[in-house]
Amino acid sequence: MNSAVTTPRGTGTRNTRILGVLTIILMVLLTFCGLIFSGEDINQGSTVRIMYVHVPSIWVAYLAFGMTALCSAIYLSGRNRSLIWDRFSGAAGEIGVLFVAVSLVTGSLWGRLTWGTYWVWDARLTSTAFLFITYIGYLAVRRLGGTHRQRARRSAVLALIAILEIPLVHFSVNVWRTLHQKASVADPNAKVALDGLMLFSLFLGLIAFTMLFAWLVIHRQRSLALEDAVADRGLDAAIEARREEATN
Amino acid sequence: MDLTPRTAGESAGPAKKKRNWIAISFIVVALLAGGVVVTKFLTSAIDYYCNVDEVGVRSGCNGDRRIRVQGIVKQHSVKSVDGTTEFDMTYNTKSIHVVYQGDPGGIFQECIPVVAHGRLLNGTFESDRIEVKHSNQYIEKNKGRLAEANKEAVKCSSQAG
Repeated sequence: MNSAVTTPRGTGTRNTRILGVLTIILMVLLTFCGLIFSGEDINQGSTVRIMYVHVPSIWVAYLAFGMTALCSAIYLSGRNRSLIWDRFSGAAGEIGVLFVAVSLVTGSLWGRLTWGTYWVWDARLTSTAFLFITYIGYLAVRRLGGTHRQRARRSAVLALIAILEIPLVHFSVNVWRTLHQKASVADPNAKVALDGLMLFSLFLGLIAFTMLFAWLVIHRQRSLALEDAVADRGLDAAIEARREEATN
Repeated sequence: MDLTPRTAGESAGPAKKKRNWIAISFIVVALLAGGVVVTKFLTSAIDYYCNVDEVGVRSGCNGDRRIRVQGIVKQHSVKSVDGTTEFDMTYNTKSIHVVYQGDPGGIFQECIPVVAHGRLLNGTFESDRIEVKHSNQYIEKNKGRLAEANKEAVKCSSQAG
């Protein structure tokens, strides 16, 4: 119960504040590039601008779930099994779920405007929906109760299984015939087919969203540490009360 | 683990294990939702996904069952009369005539890849659902690209030919 000793007083530091300001600047720049400076697509018109949020969102979700799995693996393999890895894992999992939801919503709107439908049960869309549901389950498993170590162990095992869905989602457009288009940039065999400012705006979106993810995950990890500390203090107080009860 | 101090009247017997029913409910809902998603995907996969040149050739792409056909809308073939849209769809020089009740929506236009859901009846594909595919190529709409677009249009008409 000594985690209270290392508990941070708040979730912000000078570095996170700098990171936050840089993220805001890049987001503003992305807004201008995405909505004003970059041109319309020859077929899709202005609808193409959804890409500057849709693609970075799913990228951040992949990154977040990758981090969840990596931190879980470090927790399970580490000698001292520090709970900081579990908290990073949980924080990244929560943010990943948020960004998959953003990706599903923006993708659905994009689909309505280009495909003519909000949703199809195609391999890419279905596997992404399944990924979203899996990580909702992961977050629910984290809240099942028990000690911090019990929570860390069971959720780490689940995170290591759930990460196997990422390649399934990403390569679904190559394995099955799908309505969803193939990768434009992430496919090493494909010729990158995004005109100048479109490609720039997309990369700007990827960087801005990655920084936003970093900012969110640091803060959420710290707030989870505070939540754990509050729970530990409650436990310490209860043990103390029992001791008193026994001695009186 | 409930370590709250007991009051004098309380039994000293083993405390009941407290369960987080909200979390358990979320897990049950997630499992059910996962099952629904997989079932929907498998049900959807029953309709074979065929290219135009595979209709009547590839196993599962017979005209007597409901299928999904993928091809490119042939240039100058789109006609809209009394709420019905008709067009020819081509793939690898093979062509099929499609009749759809309604406006396909999306970015439906000539020379664009589409997926039509329906059945082949007397040589015509009767579709009740059209989805428009867009490629992974993004080209800015500007003057400099007009020549390229025109070149693509010529290419489309030659493919359809």
